[in-house]
Amino acid sequence: MAMALDEKFFEKFGIEYAPNEIIFCEFEPGNEFYFIQSGRVRIVKLIQNREKNLTVMTEGDVLGEMAILEEQPRSATAIAMDHVKLLKFHRDNFDALISGNPQLAYKLLVIFSKRIYEAKRRLMILLLEEPQLKVMDVLVMLVEQDPHLDMQNVVSLQVTAQDVARWAGITEDETQKELTHLSRLDKIELFGDRIVVKKIREFQRLVASKRKSMYQ
Amino acid sequence: MTNGASAGPSGVITRTYKPGSIIYFEGDKSDYIYILKSGKVVLTSIKLDTGEEVKEEVRQGEFFGVKSSLGKYPREETAQTTGNTMVLVLMPADFERLVLKNSSVVRKMLRVFSNQLRRIVKMERSVLGEGEIVNPDAELFKIGEYYYKEGIGQHAQYAYKKYMEYYPDGEHAALAMKRIRAIDSGEALPDEAAGGPHTDQGTGGAGGHSADDLSGPADMLDFDDTATPEDGPVDPGAGRTALSDEMDDFLSNPGAGGADDRALDDMAAGSVFEMSDSAGASMSRGSYSTALDLYRKILSMNKNSNPEEKKIFEEAHFNAGRCLMELKKSADALDLFSKILRNFPSSPYLKNAIFNIGIIFESANQKEKAITYFNKVLNMPPRDKLNSDALTKIKILQGK
Repeated sequence: MAMALDEKFFEKFGIEYAPNEIIFCEFEPGNEFYFIQSGRVRIVKLIQNREKNLTVMTEGDVLGEMAILEEQPRSATAIAMDHVKLLKFHRDNFDALISGNPQLAYKLLVIFSKRIYEAKRRLMILLLEEPQLKVMDVLVMLVEQDPHLDMQNVVSLQVTAQDVARWAGITEDETQKELTHLSRLDKIELFGDRIVVKKIREFQRLVASKRKSMYQ
Repeated sequence: MTNGASAGPSGVITRTYKPGSIIYFEGDKSDYIYILKSGKVVLTSIKLDTGEEVKEEVRQGEFFGVKSSLGKYPREETAQTTGNTMVLVLMPADFERLVLKNSSVVRKMLRVFSNQLRRIVKMERSVLGEGEIVNPDAELFKIGEYYYKEGIGQHAQYAYKKYMEYYPDGEHAALAMKRIRAIDSGEALPDEAAGGPHTDQGTGGAGGHSADDLSGPADMLDFDDTATPEDGPVDPGAGRTALSDEMDDFLSNPGAGGADDRALDDMAAGSVFEMSDSAGASMSRGSYSTALDLYRKILSMNKNSNPEEKKIFEEAHFNAGRCLMELKKSADALDLFSKILRNFPSSPYLKNAIFNIGIIFESANQKEKAITYFNKVLNMPPRDKLNSDALTKIKILQGK
């Protein structure tokens, strides 16, 4: 859903990218944030010297919004997938921008709500002590975030050990060790590109009770 | 709990609560956003790093439940009244309309949310031991090198140029310039013949970051005006008489089994919470009759005095119904689901119960009735998977 904005607004803040053009690059200083008006943008990151696709952003999404909050280098690279139209705003114009455009402000409110939760949820995983619990909680988080998956059922997650390691904040070797252990206990089944969890509810309960006792 | 609910002219619901009532629990999933009109509400949450309980009082005129509603995630705090309380209940679309008229509210909230996000991201970085990026210049140059070696001149060029823009005197400046010229002159890149970059395709969905869970168009669709607030809140009691009539119809069907009363006395008498937990575990193992026994025991104890117990009690109705469906005892299942409609019109299980009634009629080959119930689901907020499942069912039943 494109923002209902007049032509003048696009003239002033609009910017277009050709397919395969970089919008911003990982580690580049970030001072601007963008609203996608049309087209698709691929978000990638170099992990262990390989380009890894993180997500695809489309019309209505916001890019680089962390630049509003802090002066930090970009944490990922954004590349146009097709002909992309964006609105580009500098951090310094933020206050003026949202005063005049409550709709943009509302959109950011929704996005920040999601980001706060995602960041909190990841932090909850990182604060667990044992690597096995971290790995279990990553799997629980992935099920929670997928509206098509049900805690009551056997679930199949499209993740690799490398993905899990990244979320859990532990090494890939350590992650592999824990996954293998869980699979020997017949709690999960490991495939090249996915992990099948037999009783995710059990993981959820275990993590919740450990988390509770951690504080006591 | 809710002693009264009435819809105002705009379709916004007013609810009144007695002291000590729970408006929602931590972990609940709901779209509702509240404004405290009068009385007192306390929000209780657990601090992530210390496990400390934090209590925060909502002031009159303030919103609560906003973040989890907009972000579509479970409630992170429990909201409880400490006096006779009146609240306004909004759907996200109502909330949007309201705040758009008053941009200072959005700005204030945005400020609060940005501070929270900044704090939490900082905490995450420090736990990961990431801190500040020490050498962003060297890292940026490395990005250029990666794309250069992969033979993607355009991307390499971008990174080198940014490097020159920000770090013209940096230690890699000479090499960056050399590369830029090489790419400009069309010199062959090291890996050009090797068939492009190694990209890990197909893992984009990992980590819950699929394109459509990131506040994309799908998200905005949920805020679309057509998403029912215009129709006013759904009145769950509306179909009451009709349902009891239909119940009679259904029960007169041959083949509808009677209740199976097992002796439960030998079962260790734990708390309702323990029973509910172990019933849930049995259910997820597929042991429906064991789960059913436990849920029936919870129902027979009829513990309904405090909010936690009420929650378990409602859940037991619903899950017992699900077990009965699995055990092909449709009449008994129907009985339980209709109890939810009658007795707990504000239960979180209401929508699912109505959907399941539709399923039961569908499997009894009573198409018209099935469609009626799926239709009810279709209009119930929040718009979620159940609404679209109901639509699919209706289409199939209508043979479209």
